[in-house]
Amino acid sequence: MRLSTPILWVILPLVIALIAVIFNHRRVFGVVLTSACAFLLSLFAMIFPESMALSIGPFNLIFDESLGILGREIIVAYEMLPFISFIFFMNGLWTLVSNIDGVPRLFRPISLLMTGLLTASLGVNPFLYAALFIEIAILASIPMLSPMSDEPHPGMLRYLALQTLALPLILLAGRLLTGVEILPPESPLVMQSALILGLGFAVWLAVFPFHSWVSMVSEHSNPLVTSFLLFILPVTILLFSLNFINRYSFLREAEVLYNTLRIIGTLMIVIGGVWTAIQDNLKRALGLSALTETGFALLAMGLAAQNGLSWLLMLFPARALGFWLWGFVLALIEGKTGSLEIQYVKGFARRYPILSIGLLLAQLSIAGLPLLAGFPVKISLLTAAFEINTHIGLWSFIGNLGLFLFTVRILAYLVAPEMAELPTRWFLSEEKHEYIPILITLLILLLLGLFPHTFLGNILKTLTAFGQLQ
Amino acid sequence: MTVLPTLAFIVIVTTAMVILVFRDWRIIAGALALQYLAAFTLVTFSWPIGMAVIKLIVGWMATAALSLTFLRQPEPEFPSETTASLIFRALAGLVVILVIFILAPDLRANIFSRLDLVIVQGGLMLIGMALMQLGTNSNPYLTVISLLSFLSGFEIIHAGLELSTLLTGLLVIVNLGLALVGVYFITRTKDEPETISARDDA
Repeated sequence: MRLSTPILWVILPLVIALIAVIFNHRRVFGVVLTSACAFLLSLFAMIFPESMALSIGPFNLIFDESLGILGREIIVAYEMLPFISFIFFMNGLWTLVSNIDGVPRLFRPISLLMTGLLTASLGVNPFLYAALFIEIAILASIPMLSPMSDEPHPGMLRYLALQTLALPLILLAGRLLTGVEILPPESPLVMQSALILGLGFAVWLAVFPFHSWVSMVSEHSNPLVTSFLLFILPVTILLFSLNFINRYSFLREAEVLYNTLRIIGTLMIVIGGVWTAIQDNLKRALGLSALTETGFALLAMGLAAQNGLSWLLMLFPARALGFWLWGFVLALIEGKTGSLEIQYVKGFARRYPILSIGLLLAQLSIAGLPLLAGFPVKISLLTAAFEINTHIGLWSFIGNLGLFLFTVRILAYLVAPEMAELPTRWFLSEEKHEYIPILITLLILLLLGLFPHTFLGNILKTLTAFGQLQ
Repeated sequence: MTVLPTLAFIVIVTTAMVILVFRDWRIIAGALALQYLAAFTLVTFSWPIGMAVIKLIVGWMATAALSLTFLRQPEPEFPSETTASLIFRALAGLVVILVIFILAPDLRANIFSRLDLVIVQGGLMLIGMALMQLGTNSNPYLTVISLLSFLSGFEIIHAGLELSTLLTGLLVIVNLGLALVGVYFITRTKDEPETISARDDA
């Protein structure tokens, strides 16, 4: 029997998401359906043979890696499977814990739908059409970010507007780049095309000054949902952006591109770090720290000649697990305190010590504390940045301190007694289903920090899909 | 042959100005429907009518979806406005028209040399007016209308650069998706925020 890989990793999740939408009132069913689908697809992607042939009992399944649609094709190549496995696994983790107070019912099907669409975006041929799949995923994300019972807030409108404005920029830039391949590098059209492309990616990735929606959306939406969005969108867009560098030699060989990426990356790290440090709202801090992470990703791309693209891919799992834990813990804390303003968590650690530890360590892992998942890659990036340019290294380091400072501020609030006259007794109030996922994730963050190449080596295989970048 | 695109361009300028200046959803919906007709006319100069008509149908479907949703709303969404704000937006619109008239010939010569000037002007006019609209309001309905206009302007220009069935299909999904997001924003329920409750079974 002949099948094609896009049916498995694009069409199937869309169908399952549709079923989950129909039964969205059945929470447990929705959790089981979406997370089982995501985990199975992740597992399948992980063990999928390079020969693209499987024997299950009497059935011999032969897979084609392309699926023709309206004269074009979607290709899910073997080389992309480690990344696809990774995003489906993370999707499974997010949906698995989504049965908590305040998480919109539509989060489960929409997150699966988004993962399927973003998988399609990585494989569509011509690759420019990926912009449309990403836009459709963005439109699909609106109901999970802004539940129907809430007024659409300005941040949501800004998110919708900016992300939609990026679509024509990318499509137009791609069309222009096709024409300028044969032109000499000094042609003004080359620079114009590169600028339009850069603008499109800047809008997509919420690079300064297009970043304002990030903190606004984070503040008004459920943290578990926001953390998923701030993981899956930038990570997929960053990987998609490698197509351009891989495809166009004049971009790949332009030193000015890498310089610009390093400068913009550093700017994002500083902006994200400083604003995170002074936040009084824990949800806004989550959003702003995503800007710092995007900054590190851009810095890694700017350091491509120093093995930066490997670090870029290795950043993704640390970011994913850190944001998952952070979003999960924030969603639980919000359910208990009713607000995530900093004064509402005063003394919280005395009643919920494991939740508090989870929150602090998630933040510290993202910040790159030694022994935790973010550390090996961040220290490599900072070292390489220092070697290339002391200013970039120094400012990146300073910007990265922002999240550390914010964590110290949170720690002071968490352990402070709620009222000075009350006895300062500590006790455990968490339930099993709350603290077990936190403890397991902390262990994984620790393992990733101690043995990065053992656990992160697999995702590096994704780079083989970009022949010119290895 | 030159009358039709010129007429379409005039309709685009007029409807874009109407959408920018007025705040009554009925007027805006009517202008948007006309705008899609004009955009369709310009696209027919690049694409076969059979393909171009898809954009018209999709545009009208999006307009109809938004308008029918508004029809069901019990109360008007837009507060009354002063004459000064109308004049301000009209002047802003005139500035955009002026800028597009100045920029379009150069852009056509340098970047879109394969396209007729009127197509470039028509597309840019919609894009410019939509950006102005996006910058001067924070209303969900107007935001979605602006984005639909923006995409329509882009599609006029892009149609001259590429003809692809898949691209057309995906743009249809994007336009209809945007309209559905508009409907979603306009339709607000009084449901309580979602919590785990007895009404949610396993």
